[in-house]
Amino acid sequence: MKVENRYDVIVAGAGHNGLTAAAYLARAGMRVLVVEKNDWIGGAAVSRSLHEGWTYSNCSYVCSLLRREISRDLELPKYGLQVIPYEGGASFTRDGDYFAYYSDHNALKREMARHSEKDADAYRRYSQAIMRQCRFIRPFLLRDAPDPASLHPRDLGELAYLVKKAHGLGNRELGETLKFWTMSIGDFLDEYFENDLIKAHLAGSGIIGTGLGVYSPGTAYVLLHHYMGDIDGGIGAWGFARGGMGAISNAIAASFKEHGGTIHTGSGVEKILSKDGRVEGVALEDGKVFYASVVASNMDIKRTVLHHIDAAELPDDFTKAVRNFKIRGSSAKLNIALDRFPNFPAAPEHTSFLRGDLHVSQSLLELEKAYDDWKVGRWSEKPYIDMLIPSQIDPTMAPTGAHMMTVFVQYAPYDLEVDGVKSAENWGEKQRNAMAETVLDQMSVACPDIRERVVHMEVRSPLEIEREVGLTEGNIFQGELTFDQLFFNRPVPGWSQYNLPIKGLYLCGSSAHPGGGVMGAPGANAARAILRKETRHGRMKGYAA
Amino acid sequence: MSQFDAIVVGGGVNGLIAGTLLGRRGKNVCIIEKSNGFGGMASYSVDGGPTLAHSLYNLSPRALGDIGIDTQHPVLSGKPVSTVSLSEDGRHIVFKNDGVYWSDGTKHPESDAWSDLTRQLITYGDLLRQLAEAPPPGGQKAILSRGGLNEFLRLAKLGIGLKKLGKYEMRRFLQVVLSNVHDIVLDDLSEGPVAGMLAADAIWGTATGPRSPGTVFNLIYRLGHGGTITQPAGGMCALTDLMVEAAQKAGCLLMPDTEVSRILLDNDAVSGVETTDGRTIAAPNVLSSLAPKLTSRMTGPSAFDIETMRRVRNIRARGTTAKVNLRLKDSSALPSLSDELAHERLIYAPSVEYVEAAFNPAKYGQMSKALVIEAFKMQTADGASWLSTIVQYAPSDLEGGWTETAKEQLAEIAVETLSRALPGLGDQIAGKQVITPDKIESATGAPGGHWHHAEMSLDQLLTLRPTNGMSRYSMGPKGLFQCGAATHPGGDVMGLAGRNAALAALEAQP
Repeated sequence: MKVENRYDVIVAGAGHNGLTAAAYLARAGMRVLVVEKNDWIGGAAVSRSLHEGWTYSNCSYVCSLLRREISRDLELPKYGLQVIPYEGGASFTRDGDYFAYYSDHNALKREMARHSEKDADAYRRYSQAIMRQCRFIRPFLLRDAPDPASLHPRDLGELAYLVKKAHGLGNRELGETLKFWTMSIGDFLDEYFENDLIKAHLAGSGIIGTGLGVYSPGTAYVLLHHYMGDIDGGIGAWGFARGGMGAISNAIAASFKEHGGTIHTGSGVEKILSKDGRVEGVALEDGKVFYASVVASNMDIKRTVLHHIDAAELPDDFTKAVRNFKIRGSSAKLNIALDRFPNFPAAPEHTSFLRGDLHVSQSLLELEKAYDDWKVGRWSEKPYIDMLIPSQIDPTMAPTGAHMMTVFVQYAPYDLEVDGVKSAENWGEKQRNAMAETVLDQMSVACPDIRERVVHMEVRSPLEIEREVGLTEGNIFQGELTFDQLFFNRPVPGWSQYNLPIKGLYLCGSSAHPGGGVMGAPGANAARAILRKETRHGRMKGYAA
Repeated sequence: MSQFDAIVVGGGVNGLIAGTLLGRRGKNVCIIEKSNGFGGMASYSVDGGPTLAHSLYNLSPRALGDIGIDTQHPVLSGKPVSTVSLSEDGRHIVFKNDGVYWSDGTKHPESDAWSDLTRQLITYGDLLRQLAEAPPPGGQKAILSRGGLNEFLRLAKLGIGLKKLGKYEMRRFLQVVLSNVHDIVLDDLSEGPVAGMLAADAIWGTATGPRSPGTVFNLIYRLGHGGTITQPAGGMCALTDLMVEAAQKAGCLLMPDTEVSRILLDNDAVSGVETTDGRTIAAPNVLSSLAPKLTSRMTGPSAFDIETMRRVRNIRARGTTAKVNLRLKDSSALPSLSDELAHERLIYAPSVEYVEAAFNPAKYGQMSKALVIEAFKMQTADGASWLSTIVQYAPSDLEGGWTETAKEQLAEIAVETLSRALPGLGDQIAGKQVITPDKIESATGAPGGHWHHAEMSLDQLLTLRPTNGMSRYSMGPKGLFQCGAATHPGGDVMGLAGRNAALAALEAQP
């Protein structure tokens, strides 16, 4: 056995979580290898140039959730990460109006009052309620989820922490919290607001990336998943990473390499090797084999367990639970190179809100209808779109005067129905283009000249995202964020603490607690679990090779 | 000087049980009901047709015991019925206690999978029943007080019950109970009528579809008392008559045809009620089985703080269930069904996807064009033969309102849907009755005609039922209690809400 084939830890997949785990482990003195199937790193936090002169954040596209603890620990600013917050956003309507969301409280209140005085008054109560929920949940992101069926002191300790936190809320607030967590975003907004447009604008964050509608219970929590982040302490603020989302992955990778890490790109994991219930290393598609007593998989749990591990090595109960884990493709993406800034006739001149997230939504019911289309295997006739033009703030994304636009599309099914047959294989060129036309139609409501502005357009179906990035069904969270798949149920009951039934095998991607988004928390938590379980006095426990 | 120790407003199942329980504990009770008969939704019928509720599946033996009705009473020991899932190809599927069969008697290939899943859910139901039989957790009592200790012991018992399931089952419980019926059922069963039957049983009376998270809880709730379905001998009215008898035996004064217009207060404590005909009835305790919104309106908003009123206003109760009664020309068997099967519980829900698709229009205030249906063939006292059906989804807030045309359309769709599996049914029908949610609301006061008075979604259960801060039956002024389906644990002909409320009232003022 050659020495250079042996590492302390191998991380499978160079997504931002894999790199985060690797960077923490490298800093702790481990010899770490990251293997990646693509020729580039970053997974879904990636910047790619597909048309000369333009850079696309071609999967994830905005940043807020990345935990600041991680940014500090890994010294990401030192390695080039710069996150620039954007202000506001807007939803455009078919009758030529818009609702603008400003980060400035007074401006927002005035804009709300333009649509409904009552809603402007309610907004204060609403934002306080959301902020309380954010504050409650944030400490849990970088902690382990306890196993309620276990009597292990660590689990009891974490459980006690949970009880203490919950108790600290007081009965009344605890009730509000439980209610919030189990509600639909539609019902939640209905309790505060009366204006359809305002509700539609606020509801979007509750459905992004999920196979749920605005009136499905649990979507209020998903909203939280988009609000609990921060930029420089501004809770709930979103921003662009300068140079695209790939800048995040690149900064983490740089931090990792500086501490002795190695990244091997261009060949994916064929098989995770194990013997007698203990992991041994990985065999790559190009035939190379690397050995380590610890392997952390950044792939989602379905891919890890069902495609890259010998089923005989795992208990049947576990495999069944993984098979039943819900990862539903529900979103698509358009990345567009624009020759110049498109015209938004409804927007006042020199407004700031065009620099934020732009939508075309009319009402909660329209969003709910978009979900009904998805349920039967079609992309939404009137999809929810989240479009941004980051080149306004970050000029590195496009040539001078030209712009780059990212358009997130909800909903698009993985198993597309064509002529009565539901299958992912139906996502051919023709269907992809047809979907793009639907999206462009929807965008035309806000910017009628959009079709004339397009220089190059990348259309990404769920199938395409699955094939390129490796996310099962193209699900951006590596698994639905429903109650039955969160906290101690994530990814599957009994295995919420990053380790898997094969000794030495860990999960460090978003399939694990606390879930998806460019957050880095699963990676950091997995690294902590590995250091705790696999090392003694700062060294790897000795294992027979 | 008060005439009564307590007044119960509303003589439905929960009102009767609450009143009777108090009466049996020596209280002087009066039960006021605005219609001329007792039993509320359970016994509500139109022109001598079948009653709104037509079967029993989770009536609580504990509630019955507390009001002195023997669970072995002849009315209650009716024959348990099986469920028949109707199929268009005539190969109906029969669900019995011991498994699933085709209508020709051979075993269905998914019998074991169905039995395993059902058994599992019944086990969970057993556990959760402990929670249903007491006020929800989260009381503010000091841990060392008697009430606090009791609550602690109950929770400890639940914890031990959970532990006893074993690690695997305990973890599964904590996952399944929060899940949606679409996923849980299709994990173990293939899409089709067997799965469809479970999906249907998870959505009766609710404004949710099988894909909505939390629907597994509804299914467990239904199976909470073992999952057996019976039809009371003599119909639902025989059961409510029995309850009325028990109330009288307990010394309660029953006042039908009396409508309460106001709940009276004196110095932030209840002093009695005023009726629409101007009478004042005095009592230091009022238990209202009406929905919280109605109760608070009767008491007057000034009795509650603003936050409470806001919460009450936000309680969701959107009825989506209607009743379509089809009078049959003669009592001969239904087409395509053997005589034996025709007397079981009939369900039309060919697949989970079908149920979900039926739910879609309801979200936008439209009636389903293909309904999910539960039907019983029965005879009313006058000897007429009926097909009594419960249909989903017929939203209370139908676009354009429930006009005669809309009602006719709903009945037609119901017949059309059933005719797919029972071809020629249309020719056997001599008359139709349609009881829509708005009619249920005006007859019984249930908001939106919702048979649980408040949606049974996870955010309106247990400590959050009917809403945060109001879960322990007392409400606002001293002596005012809620005892209806909107309170924990919820509706159906179950009776625990009324029983728990009466016990809470006793505890508050022994």
